Amino acid sequence: MLICRCHVRISSTGQPVNIPACYNIRRFMNKAAFYDLDGTLLSCNLVTTHAYYARNERNMLKGAYQFAKVLFSVPGLFVTDLYSRSHFNVVSYAAYGGMHRDRLVGLADDLFEVTLKPSIFPGAQDLVNLTRNLGYRNVLVTGTPDFTLRPIALHFGIEEVICNYLEFKDHIATGHMHKPVLAADQKAVAIREYAAREGIDLRQSCAFSDSSADVPMLTAVGNPVATNPTWRLRRIALRNNWPILELRETPSKLPPFLRAAKVL
Amino acid sequence: MKSLGNWRWNPVKGRYEDTLPSPPQGTGEISAIDAFANKTILLLGGTGFVGKVLLALVLDRFPELKHLVVQVRRKKNVSGEERFYSEVLQSPPLQAIVDRMGGEGVVREKVQVVEGDLDQPLCGISADDREKLKGKVDIVVNLAGVVDFDPPVNESFQTNVYGVKHLIELVELLDAKLVHVSTSYVAGKKDGRIPEDTPIVGYFPMRDAHDGKQFSVDDEIHWYEQFVEETRATRASNARPVRERLREGGMNRADDWGWTNTYTYTKSIGEQLIARTPGLTYAIVRPAIVESSLRFPFPGWNEGFTTSAPLVLMGGGGLKGWPVRSDGPLEIIPVDLVASGILIVTAAVLCGKNKRVYHLASADKNPIMLPRLVAFLGMNSRYKHKHKTSGNRLANWWRAYVETQVITVKLLESRRQRLHRGLDVIHATLTLGKTIFGDGKVGRHLNRRLKSLRDTRRQLRQQEVTLDKFLPFMIHNSFIFETDNIREAAGMLTNEDLKRVQWDPETIDWADYWVNIHTKGIEKWIRPMFMK
Repeated sequence: MLICRCHVRISSTGQPVNIPACYNIRRFMNKAAFYDLDGTLLSCNLVTTHAYYARNERNMLKGAYQFAKVLFSVPGLFVTDLYSRSHFNVVSYAAYGGMHRDRLVGLADDLFEVTLKPSIFPGAQDLVNLTRNLGYRNVLVTGTPDFTLRPIALHFGIEEVICNYLEFKDHIATGHMHKPVLAADQKAVAIREYAAREGIDLRQSCAFSDSSADVPMLTAVGNPVATNPTWRLRRIALRNNWPILELRETPSKLPPFLRAAKVL
Repeated sequence: MKSLGNWRWNPVKGRYEDTLPSPPQGTGEISAIDAFANKTILLLGGTGFVGKVLLALVLDRFPELKHLVVQVRRKKNVSGEERFYSEVLQSPPLQAIVDRMGGEGVVREKVQVVEGDLDQPLCGISADDREKLKGKVDIVVNLAGVVDFDPPVNESFQTNVYGVKHLIELVELLDAKLVHVSTSYVAGKKDGRIPEDTPIVGYFPMRDAHDGKQFSVDDEIHWYEQFVEETRATRASNARPVRERLREGGMNRADDWGWTNTYTYTKSIGEQLIARTPGLTYAIVRPAIVESSLRFPFPGWNEGFTTSAPLVLMGGGGLKGWPVRSDGPLEIIPVDLVASGILIVTAAVLCGKNKRVYHLASADKNPIMLPRLVAFLGMNSRYKHKHKTSGNRLANWWRAYVETQVITVKLLESRRQRLHRGLDVIHATLTLGKTIFGDGKVGRHLNRRLKSLRDTRRQLRQQEVTLDKFLPFMIHNSFIFETDNIREAAGMLTNEDLKRVQWDPETIDWADYWVNIHTKGIEKWIRPMFMK
């Protein structure tokens, strides 16, 4: 089975990088740093993203209706998240249903500026730079769909992403993800396949995540790091002797649902 | 369970697909690599937008080529050679390629610069240079032309008609083949699918409507000479500037025959001159609206104001009502695909397997409909003005949150009238106030307001003129140019060739292209020039 992977253009309008095409520098890099996104590098989740799209509907009345729908769905989503992250993903992606892809792509930069950029943890960029300088190939492994991910990856300078893809029918989102949806176990499967294809030594690689849902991904690599861990992951990390990293200035005691509400 | 494959967007079907993109396959009937090996190309117009990308592409992809002779026009005190090495090679699309090739020294071995000017007989190439080139040049690629839509008719004729005459003389003298770059819009005021096999000689857009009427290039040249002479002779008796009258004369003549503007009219005459020359081996390449590069030399490279740049800048400036056809596509094509297309055609001509006309366009396989573009322009305006801290807050809010609309020409006209009436009222009030308050503090303040009102009016008028220029492509006509010939030519190449040059507009993800490549390219490369 192949994994999904896309190369995000880093210098989409900038000067070309002066490296001859035949020099594949990545060939010599046999270790990778896998990053989860939400809660690990920034504190924003799907709810805030949906709220943004609802607020920026073409039609203001429809926007208000959509916004109300997102607000009412929050408690339900919170309970679902506690039960299972993959169920949470499935339910929350339904909010994309009926949206035209042009709008999702066209508003991605604005979404990033408004909701995502302010919520990046202070130490996140340094961490990404550090792993790159240490010779790791930085890879984002996240459930966030590709169009939202693009400006984030550009911001951090991460060239490789393993992410989810929304299902579209004639440019209109159906509200489903292409299967298998990247969450929990699937992340570990995707990492293993990526490593096999790219010649990555997983024992030398590291992974960063905040959630206990990503334990399969963390255990797939030799050096897992619990980053801004939830209480559940903190317990697992302490038991397994994994390092714990805090990128937030003041660790939030709030559950993810309330953290999202704060950004709203 | 479906595998998580290499997902890619299929723009034609409007969905993601997890099939690996199969590498393009060619029949191998012609080989571009063999065709270019030990050959010499003479390139005219290599300093322009398409020219630079073509130059970069041929240097980067076909090292087999023996020589590339580039004709560059002298500019005042700067010689052609100096211009080439200081202007062209230092330009962003070529810089990286030159570095990759190993510096300017390597380029000097491969490229020969000759000074010349299309407006002069034999393209202004000196007798010495002509002797050196004789028998050595295998093919001439001409990209030079006046691309302004409505210049004074003499400027357009000089390069697009007489220039082509000089070009034909040169090609015959050198005993070479010819690839001439024209425009798809020579089709004129037409609707629907435009085929590539329409006879070139004697073509005029209204031929179907006027059965008896004949179009002849000689008659047009005769008309032109007479018209210019008459216009200049009446300089003293007519109060209007000659330049304006020449501009208007060209547009009217074009309109009489059914062309959209002087540019397409003169380009069509140029094509007809080539087509009627006996014994000439030629191919005419007709690109649609050429836009920012998709991949090569890097995504988003753009230059000059001849593309849709004014529209994108106006959209970014907050224009909300767009008079476009909701059922029509905008025929755009990235510049690197145009350069690839020209190289494919050049290879086909060198192998003797070419057709006469090649459209380079996107809409017959992967159209981008105009209402989608209008929505993109709105989203760009939202992004730009939402985060703006300077300027009037209310105006910024309006530009950010009011969505762009598709409107009719009638509505556009009435909106314009209303706006001008409103501005008239404000103007009258301010003038009245100035008269009452005189030169005091209030009067001076009103004077400043009047001045800024005049600036606003000038900007509005400019905006209106620009928008009107684009109306033929957006609302009056709806073109879809058939591109079977270039597809066939690309299909004849070998697989090795297809790794170097591709013709694949059907894979363009328009949303990504317009939002992340084209708009950002214009903001980066065009806006600074525009602001200057």
